[in-house]
Amino acid sequence: MSRGTGERRAPTAAAIAIDGGDLPIGGGLLALVRPALGLIEPGGVLALLSSSRAVREDLAAWCRVEGHEYLGADPTADGRDRHLIERGSLGVPSPGEPPRPLGRSKGGVTAADLLAAVPMPERADPATGFAPRGARVEPGGPPYPFSLLERDRVAPPDVAQLYDQAVAAQWDAARDIPWDKVKELPPALEQAIAQIMTFLAENELSALYVPSRFLFRIHPAYVETAMFLATQLADEARHIDVFLKRAHARGGPMGISTATTSRSLLSLLELEDFAEATFLLSVLGEGTFLDLLRFVERHAPDEATAEIVRRARADESRHVHFGVAHIRHALSSDAALYDRLEGAVRRRAATLHHAGGVPAPIQDALTVLAARGTDPPGIARGHEEFRRLLDEMHGSRVKRLQSAGFTAEQADAISGLHTPNFM
Amino acid sequence: MAEPVLLVGAVAYDPKVVTIWEGIRDHFQEHGCPMDFALFSNYERQVDELLKGHIHIAWNTPLAHVRVKRRSVGRSQSLGMRDADRDFRAKVVVRKDSGVRSLADLHGKTLAVGSGDSTQARILPLYFLKQEGVDLAKVALLPFDSDIGKHGDTGTSELDVLAALHQGRAQAGVVGDLVWVNEQAAGRVDASRLEVMWTTPPFDHCMFDAVASLPRERVEEFQRALFAMQWEDPRHRRLMELEGLKQWMPPREEGYLSLRRALDEQGNW
Repeated sequence: MSRGTGERRAPTAAAIAIDGGDLPIGGGLLALVRPALGLIEPGGVLALLSSSRAVREDLAAWCRVEGHEYLGADPTADGRDRHLIERGSLGVPSPGEPPRPLGRSKGGVTAADLLAAVPMPERADPATGFAPRGARVEPGGPPYPFSLLERDRVAPPDVAQLYDQAVAAQWDAARDIPWDKVKELPPALEQAIAQIMTFLAENELSALYVPSRFLFRIHPAYVETAMFLATQLADEARHIDVFLKRAHARGGPMGISTATTSRSLLSLLELEDFAEATFLLSVLGEGTFLDLLRFVERHAPDEATAEIVRRARADESRHVHFGVAHIRHALSSDAALYDRLEGAVRRRAATLHHAGGVPAPIQDALTVLAARGTDPPGIARGHEEFRRLLDEMHGSRVKRLQSAGFTAEQADAISGLHTPNFM
Repeated sequence: MAEPVLLVGAVAYDPKVVTIWEGIRDHFQEHGCPMDFALFSNYERQVDELLKGHIHIAWNTPLAHVRVKRRSVGRSQSLGMRDADRDFRAKVVVRKDSGVRSLADLHGKTLAVGSGDSTQARILPLYFLKQEGVDLAKVALLPFDSDIGKHGDTGTSELDVLAALHQGRAQAGVVGDLVWVNEQAAGRVDASRLEVMWTTPPFDHCMFDAVASLPRERVEEFQRALFAMQWEDPRHRRLMELEGLKQWMPPREEGYLSLRRALDEQGNW
């Protein structure tokens, strides 16, 4: 070694060699040197061919500042310098196995294709912050306040497919509803519709707020769950919008918000555990709403109202699907979760024990809706329809709970304890 | 009676110094070495107060360090330094259009230099140039005496030197290699106009100096806490970035020999 300011060393084999031309450190050379060093392990050696005299002067100082070791330089046969740099132990870890190339689904490049190429880790490190999954993360970043750090508690296997479906199924409450088909109805029936829409909007507000409490706790390694929840929030926003538009469509007054509904929804908002919230909101609450929305669609007095609840139910069924998949996956990896979820249902039931039955205004409105008016024989039929709805709701809940992994007895007990508010 | 808290002096050359020392104080407390810090406006005051025993330890520039050693007749204790303080060098940077290709070409030219009390941008480069045979009487010095008392800590005078070179107010200039490589790495040097021409021999930079009377066990307590700081630890990382190091190192004295000789020669003690 004849040149440079590093100490004399025996010739060293280099892991990577790059040609720096005559570039000085301040003239772009670092754009070649830094990425090349990033590819080798600490202790590995980079050879830099250079014809720049300035590099001879400056490379050792740059290495010192960056924590690399400058090993000196040898002249090459063509009169250039071959500088050797030993990579220091600090900085970004060298890349591991390259990810699989991105596949393509029939409908284009999907989030599921991306997830398959860059799978989720079993556990996530809060210090990786908002670094996207797969990025090489420089150590020393601050820890983030994410608390949902385990894949099996956050992300069911089909979460990316659910996100893809949700994105494809977005609709527009301004244009996609045949608003011109809202008919003039007898006042009692219109008032029943306004009451139902008031009730639906109130419950959907809780479905907008409750998941948002957990969104920022999800580690970005499981971003597909956060992205799915974002579509869920967009769905709920659209439902609130469309239900309120229908409530006001004929200029009638809004319905009543009951203390029972309010108490029931507060008990959702106060949940601190993501699995419990998913269970109570999506599996039990939104699951029960599927039957409610089907009931309203079946008895809707105009096409616009039918289309509103049909579209809302399609969205809700995705939320329920996510909830069931999430709970089924979490239960399969954590048997203690059965007791926790059942306990959450019991605690909630205890706080609502004096709530009585379905809130009277919604019970009456559903009866009038099914009766298509207020003549007593019709009301008798409407009342029967309403009673049958409650049975249907219980039956679907039990099936859904069994599909999530509960036994028939557990499912029956849990469903029986579900809030009379439906949500 | 409990031992008094270690009092460490530092010079407030920038508002970030408060952030750095509050962080270091917390770290030392967590590592069983209760300490507090006192900020001074210049190194001369800090050296005086250390030698009077009003503070136990001072975070010193090389100039302050060799003065403490000399005034304590070698009895002060050196505790530790940054990795970046070892093998510091200064650079002679020239304008490409200046025709300055060797040190001898500096004769008759204007040489921009940093603060009179800056080790890396004034005292040592001029000493080394003389060692190399440059007759400083034949060189027009363009001095930037900014922040006198801060011993070049702010780097302001070195940036002034680079600005003067970019503007063509000098054909050559001297700066520390830390500023030179960092300014280049950040893309703030016009490589089509400026280039490095010469590099000085290595010298060492800042040092924690303790009073001679600080007991051995307290010295060790301090060093244990200091060396426990880790670049990969997010609690330490920001402090170390602000203070400009990746690792704390044990002290060594041989790197200050050239500075002592320069001060002898320049009558600058």
